[in-house]
Amino acid sequence: MLPAAPLHALEIWSNPQAVATRIEKALGFALPVMNRSAGNDAITLLRYEPTVWLVEGDVAVIADTLGDDGALTAIGGGIVRMRLAGPHWRDLLLEGGFFDTSAAAFPAGATAATVIDHVGVRLWAESDDACIAYVPASYALSLHHFWDEALPLLGA
Amino acid sequence: MSGPSRSATGDETIPFTFDGNTYHARPGDTLAAALLANGVGLVGRSFKYHRPRGIMTAGIEEPNALVTVGTGGRTEPNTRATDVFVYPGMVAKSQNRWPSLSFDVASIFGLAAPALGAGFYYKTFFGPAKHWMLYEGFIRRAAGLGNAPTEADPDNFSHKAGFCDVLVVGAGPAGLKAALAAAEAGKRVMLVEQDAVPGGSLLRDPDPAIDPAAMIARIKALGGEVLLRTTASGYWDHNFLTLTQRLVEPGAVPPHGFAQRLWHVRAGRVILATGLIERPVPFANNDHPGVMLSQAVRSYVRRWGVLPGKRVVIATNNDDAYLTAEALVAAGAEVVALLDARAPGSGPTAPAGVQVFYDAKPAKVIGRKHALRKVTAVIGGSEHSFDADLIAVSGGFVPVAHLHMQAGGKLTWNEAAQAFIPGETPQACETVGAALNPPSAPAIAPAGKAKTSFVDFQNDVSLADIDLAWQEGYRSVEHLKRYTTLGMATDQGKTSNMVALSRLAEKQHVTVPEAGLTTFRPPFTPVTMGLMAGAGARNAGAHVRRIPLHSLHEAHDPIWQPLGYWFRPRAYPVNGESLQQAALREARTVRTVAGLSDVSTLGKFEVSGPDAAALLELVCATTVGKLAVGRGRYTFMCREDGFVNDDGTVWRLAENRYLLTSSTGGADRMAHFISYVRNSLRPDLKCSVVNVQEHYAGIALAGPQARAILASLIGAEPPRHMGYAPGVLAGVPVHVLAASYSGERAFEIHVEATHAAPVWQAIEHATRAAGGAPYGLEAMELLRIEKGHVVVGGEVDGRSTPHDLGLGGMLNKAGGFIGAAGLTRPALSAPDRNNLVGLVSLDGPIPEGGMLIQRAGQSPQGHVTAAARRILEGGAIALALLQGGHKRHGEELIVTSPTRGEKARVRVTAPHFYDAAGERYRD
Repeated sequence: MLPAAPLHALEIWSNPQAVATRIEKALGFALPVMNRSAGNDAITLLRYEPTVWLVEGDVAVIADTLGDDGALTAIGGGIVRMRLAGPHWRDLLLEGGFFDTSAAAFPAGATAATVIDHVGVRLWAESDDACIAYVPASYALSLHHFWDEALPLLGA
Repeated sequence: MSGPSRSATGDETIPFTFDGNTYHARPGDTLAAALLANGVGLVGRSFKYHRPRGIMTAGIEEPNALVTVGTGGRTEPNTRATDVFVYPGMVAKSQNRWPSLSFDVASIFGLAAPALGAGFYYKTFFGPAKHWMLYEGFIRRAAGLGNAPTEADPDNFSHKAGFCDVLVVGAGPAGLKAALAAAEAGKRVMLVEQDAVPGGSLLRDPDPAIDPAAMIARIKALGGEVLLRTTASGYWDHNFLTLTQRLVEPGAVPPHGFAQRLWHVRAGRVILATGLIERPVPFANNDHPGVMLSQAVRSYVRRWGVLPGKRVVIATNNDDAYLTAEALVAAGAEVVALLDARAPGSGPTAPAGVQVFYDAKPAKVIGRKHALRKVTAVIGGSEHSFDADLIAVSGGFVPVAHLHMQAGGKLTWNEAAQAFIPGETPQACETVGAALNPPSAPAIAPAGKAKTSFVDFQNDVSLADIDLAWQEGYRSVEHLKRYTTLGMATDQGKTSNMVALSRLAEKQHVTVPEAGLTTFRPPFTPVTMGLMAGAGARNAGAHVRRIPLHSLHEAHDPIWQPLGYWFRPRAYPVNGESLQQAALREARTVRTVAGLSDVSTLGKFEVSGPDAAALLELVCATTVGKLAVGRGRYTFMCREDGFVNDDGTVWRLAENRYLLTSSTGGADRMAHFISYVRNSLRPDLKCSVVNVQEHYAGIALAGPQARAILASLIGAEPPRHMGYAPGVLAGVPVHVLAASYSGERAFEIHVEATHAAPVWQAIEHATRAAGGAPYGLEAMELLRIEKGHVVVGGEVDGRSTPHDLGLGGMLNKAGGFIGAAGLTRPALSAPDRNNLVGLVSLDGPIPEGGMLIQRAGQSPQGHVTAAARRILEGGAIALALLQGGHKRHGEELIVTSPTRGEKARVRVTAPHFYDAAGERYRD
């Protein structure tokens, strides 16, 4: 499990192109498209829904840029981040999972909102070697235990 | 010496027990092979007649040799001895016999077989329903399979997703070839094989040109996944298949904790190389140990080095059985006769020394305990007997088309083979190999007594039963199946369907296709309950949701209450208090001093944006738009039909930011509801709705001292009732909402969950210092009943309108909310609707859930939704839903619970027993 981090839901409800341009200018990178991520050392944006991004890091710049076209809502208190690292992380996500985690279908930088053993989680393929899982805090210990139990099956 | 045997080689190193006797197996032996190798031919008793049964096949189609494997919670009944591989220490037992397999008292039913034919149950066990209770117990003891384990299974079961371009089912020659071709074409391949080793028919009939191990290695090297001990058990829509994988053998202790895995596979294309199942031959006593399928005999000889018999009769209608003769002769057995049902000269050349009889078929066998003694055959119309300990039979072959049919595929009739073969399929699926090209095998007219010529071995269905069903008017194959129980056992008729269909067609004077065919449904082979449950086999089927302050509560050793998937403190007993004593003490503490409670599980939604109020006025049935910043109000939400969906509070935190709370139990439902409203009904609104249920922990502080306690903690005057103010408590930013569920001056303090612990500790410390204490759900229930607050799942039961609950006056008179139109329906204003009322007992406790009646024998006019006692004064009270209840205050009724034998006289009142004017909310 990773330390708690500032997490926000960013929703843009109007003028999406203009907002995207303003944010790109402010952050230095474009808003990611669906099921992809983008970021720098200070902030990472993960897109899971057509109009919603999960933002990890300092949101001050975005808050100043949004105007009346969207909102940021803090959600970090309810989410636990876990890093699944090592050569078996893709295989581990198939345990109780429902989506294709192969490198071709879920490459580094990709995001997914899915279900692992009936628990709704959001995933970010941080690199080829690791994936960050954003897990509802109430399920975190239980899901951690679930993955921990499954590891021996993978030869890990 | 006769019967099954195997010459020792020193490789018999694996000890196991069968019915308490210790034997030794070789590595790679199935239990069936190991038993035959040890001279054990009798392995079970049949379902109905308790007839002695042996090993008939060498595969998953085995109908006879069902055993119980394992001990304790790992006990697995009804396992096919042909589909379990022996491991050191395996414990196997025979089933459905008493006191022993050799001497089974219930075998007396065999003598009564003439009276126990098809439809016996329907003709015998009728009359009043209560009589069935007697019949059932008797039948369950007399008939049946293995016993279910009584202990919990200690093992885990994995559910895993799989994805591939090509899924190949069956690692026989055709499957290996198809999988390798796909892998070499760059496809992502999964190859599954139910056996422990690849090869399929090659294990029985090796082909020097095909090396399964090398092909498997090549497939793996190309990135393919090969799953052994894995059965494709279900083929669903869109090329979705379920595979059941044995990670260890039944009953074995898994080194990694997992016994089996259920794969959920999405395949681009499916190739079925599922092969053939050999068809038995009906004749008298064809179920006795020593009657085996021809290919099975060959498998035992060639794969496992077992000789199932030394003097063997072979009966066939096809060429394949001649290969069995070759194998037996090569292994040193004597083939005393090869009975070929076909005309002279039909078959290939038999091995030297084997006499072939044409126009010949078995009519009867006589056996001893583990093997046969004599085979009687009809040859050219006259009977001949042979001394033999084994008969290997082959009545032709049935393509394994189960998965093809599950996929929605059609079957076509192959007259030469007398078999259905896979035809067109609506899915991306094809069948390859032997299943498409079964050998020619003409029909054989059975010889021998029909009553003991078994068709469905597992359910003891004979030719006579099929004939009887026909005589009694059962013409449809579906009716035949249900009347006789044909094909309804754990083997699902794998060896019986075609034999039975042939008999039915013969009776109807039609062809087999005209007679019809029953439907193959998943699973292909039995699947254990644990595998289907997966990880949910433990923890009541789901992950436990842990509240943010769980550890702090745990330090007080509370009684925990499951609430949905959550666990919340129900009460905090001290000094040996019972639940009721603790709850009453806690509730009295709230009424007289102050208490704090964890309300973190409340549904919470943050709604932002210039159109936030517009969205909330759609979702909530009360007015929201006029709320001033820093104010909140009670609200409730309706479904489209006007019935109350949930309730909660709504708070205006800032000009364009609101917090909506809802009930714990309805939180997920509300999340879906609000998402539907936002994204489907009003995607145009400039607002954002975010579920912050878990972001905020919630702490309720209630009681006459609550205001003073909170003021001391936040260093400021807390907001007045239904007011909101941000604050800092224990150095942590908090939202203070002045709301009350208890009926006392109260606050909800919402704090980011990761920082909730110091806030709770500070409030608890201050509350205890003031003479207060934490309180749990049970005390909360006492408090809210006395105050007359409704709860979702109790008074809000999905059938209550706002008017029913006395909330009609709060409805947004401008309308426009979801449910407004539904509420205009006249039926929802009918005077006899169930209305929320209070009940005061005129004698003893009021039974919760009890029915409300005016006099004995009357139909119920309502029911008690929640019962309690007055917290400070004593006396029983309750909330209830009563027909026309709003106008029945003062009426005396009876609450009765016949199932519990409880009754109480009550007076109907308004549903508020405590501070109806709400004066205690105000400072």
